[in-house]
Amino acid sequence: MHEQAQLRLKKDEVEKLGVEAFVVLALDRYRTKVFKEENLLLSKGKGPFAKEKSLVFATALSDPAGHASALYGVSRKCVRWGSWVENHPCWFVIDRKGTLSYAAHPTFATPTSYVTDIDRVLEALTKAAR
Amino acid sequence: MTLTWRASGFLLAGFVAAAVTGWAQPPSPLEKYRTLEFPPVVENFDKGWKDRVALEYEIINAADLKSLRAALKDDNAFVRSMAARALGILGDKASADALADLVQSDPEYMVRIRAVDALGFLKMRPEAIELAKKDRDAGVQWAARIAAGHAQVDWDDAAHVRRAFAAGIRREAMGSAQVGKPAPDFTAQTSDGKPFRLSSVLGKKPIAIYFAAFEG
Repeated sequence: MHEQAQLRLKKDEVEKLGVEAFVVLALDRYRTKVFKEENLLLSKGKGPFAKEKSLVFATALSDPAGHASALYGVSRKCVRWGSWVENHPCWFVIDRKGTLSYAAHPTFATPTSYVTDIDRVLEALTKAAR
Repeated sequence: MTLTWRASGFLLAGFVAAAVTGWAQPPSPLEKYRTLEFPPVVENFDKGWKDRVALEYEIINAADLKSLRAALKDDNAFVRSMAARALGILGDKASADALADLVQSDPEYMVRIRAVDALGFLKMRPEAIELAKKDRDAGVQWAARIAAGHAQVDWDDAAHVRRAFAAGIRREAMGSAQVGKPAPDFTAQTSDGKPFRLSSVLGKKPIAIYFAAFEG
């Protein structure tokens, strides 16, 4: 969600590049809908998104058996962060020819990593848009 | 006739040998999950994930309900968790009471999370889901809030999840996405229930895909 919030901050730039954005959850449709429509996590804090109902402007996709997640090598199906985690949260960029042009596997070592991740994704999207 | 007697002889010898050495039964999917080289703990986050994915497919597609129900009482918390998950996805209403017991009394939060998830899939035992909202563990509280909403939806998510697992997965395709190569195609469902195929949008616009860890 934090990464989606960071992407949301760059929404104008993303739209200017004509990017189609997707977020994939290796979960059922209901949980995907919750992710898309409800700001459950950040609404509990005091940050800039605390009062916003939804942060996700990307199309949210339910990948309930984790098939797409496994193809892209991000499946984990592990206990982490006090819960079951289906995927390693990762970014991919596909260019206009359908070639995978960028992949990022963030480490989440610090909160600021989100910001730099999005900057790199935008850089990759700018190249992919050419 | 001679050949038939000879064949019978071989068969009998096979039975005798098996009786002496013991049947070499292949391990059940749940047994394989119990003995994973890299169990689903944080230390193995980046290790052994292909085995975990493949086994989850195998368990949900092939494990029998009787074994899964028995596994809710297994000594291994990961096996209990997986059994609870599978029973919810398989829509096994007969296991609702056992799942509710796990939600309320299993010592491991990871099991309570999977059990309350399963009750949401089954749309049963709402009082157990409500109680879990006050669980001592924040992860279970979160799962219970989601499960309570899940139990209210007017579509059958479990059936959709079962169909997705039934489609199977090829181990050699796992991790096949490579920078510089064509993006692997996949199908999914949008949050409002529409079918989606990546190839239907490829080659038109630049695309950003984010794979989220969980629903939060």
